[in-house]
Amino acid sequence: MDVLLPALLGALKLSAKLILIIVPLVTLFEVLRYLPVFRRAGNVVEPMMRGVGLTRDAAIPLFTGIFLGIAYGAGIIIRVAQQKGLPARELFLMGLFLATCHSVIEDILIFVVIGGNGPAILGVRLGLAVFLTGLMARVWKPESEVPGIR
Amino acid sequence: MNEPETGAAAGESIPDIPTRIRTGLSAGFRTSIKIIKVSVPLYVAVTLLKGTPFLDLLGEVFAPVMGIFGLPGEAAFAFVAAFLLNLYAAIAVIVPLHLTPFQVTQCGLMMGVAHNLVVEGGVLSTTGARGGVLTLCRLVIACAAGLLLRGLWSLWESAASWAMAPPGHW
Repeated sequence: MDVLLPALLGALKLSAKLILIIVPLVTLFEVLRYLPVFRRAGNVVEPMMRGVGLTRDAAIPLFTGIFLGIAYGAGIIIRVAQQKGLPARELFLMGLFLATCHSVIEDILIFVVIGGNGPAILGVRLGLAVFLTGLMARVWKPESEVPGIR
Repeated sequence: MNEPETGAAAGESIPDIPTRIRTGLSAGFRTSIKIIKVSVPLYVAVTLLKGTPFLDLLGEVFAPVMGIFGLPGEAAFAFVAAFLLNLYAAIAVIVPLHLTPFQVTQCGLMMGVAHNLVVEGGVLSTTGARGGVLTLCRLVIACAAGLLLRGLWSLWESAASWAMAPPGHW
């Protein structure tokens, strides 16, 4: 029993720490996410998205996944992907990017709380996502692209 | 307030701020319940198992694989929790293992890429993308990311040790 009690206490302390991060984070996100700034952000990121083979149509599902995560952002990702009728190539590239780099705020913060290095995690994930997606975008060329256009 | 850009969020009306706060708090509350339900039993289980032959054996079996990424063998248990459940489960396993800051960072990186594979694989397939292929990709990418961080870390460490070395050492 003198092992169980400290274990239980430690478990509750850890849960409390995680909850203290998650609840304000989710609430803040809900409050901010309808701001017009985020809707206009599509224009700013468009050139960057072209670099990894994605068009503006993929902006909302992509950024939802990057910030919210795949499971939590699933509703938006699925709906927009179907509404816009994203081509298979873009779905694959978006999936690849999100596989490497999703839910960055929450996932990284909870590891920072237990002693991890946040910038290192974010840097490697973002770098690897851009590198891999950019690489695959060059391997899998869009069908409409006429040879000689670039 | 301006008309929201059509197309950006077709058919989505904008709730007022109190509603958004309520939505956020209730989503946060649901997540909290999930965290407690998963982390408390796992944390207690790992704390009780620590130092027993079971966890030591598990550690020895996985030490060669985990060692590639600079992790102790026991970390394999955390990876199982991350793959099948979620990051909260993994954290509940990691904390009682008392890993170094580098090892926690490494876990955060690799598990950040590959976690909750069952549920998220399903979501990715619904978009029309190949869920199974992407799940395999995530495992491969997680390993690549782990090797990359390991490499960067040893570069950083040797650079730091050169900087710390007394002048005239070389």
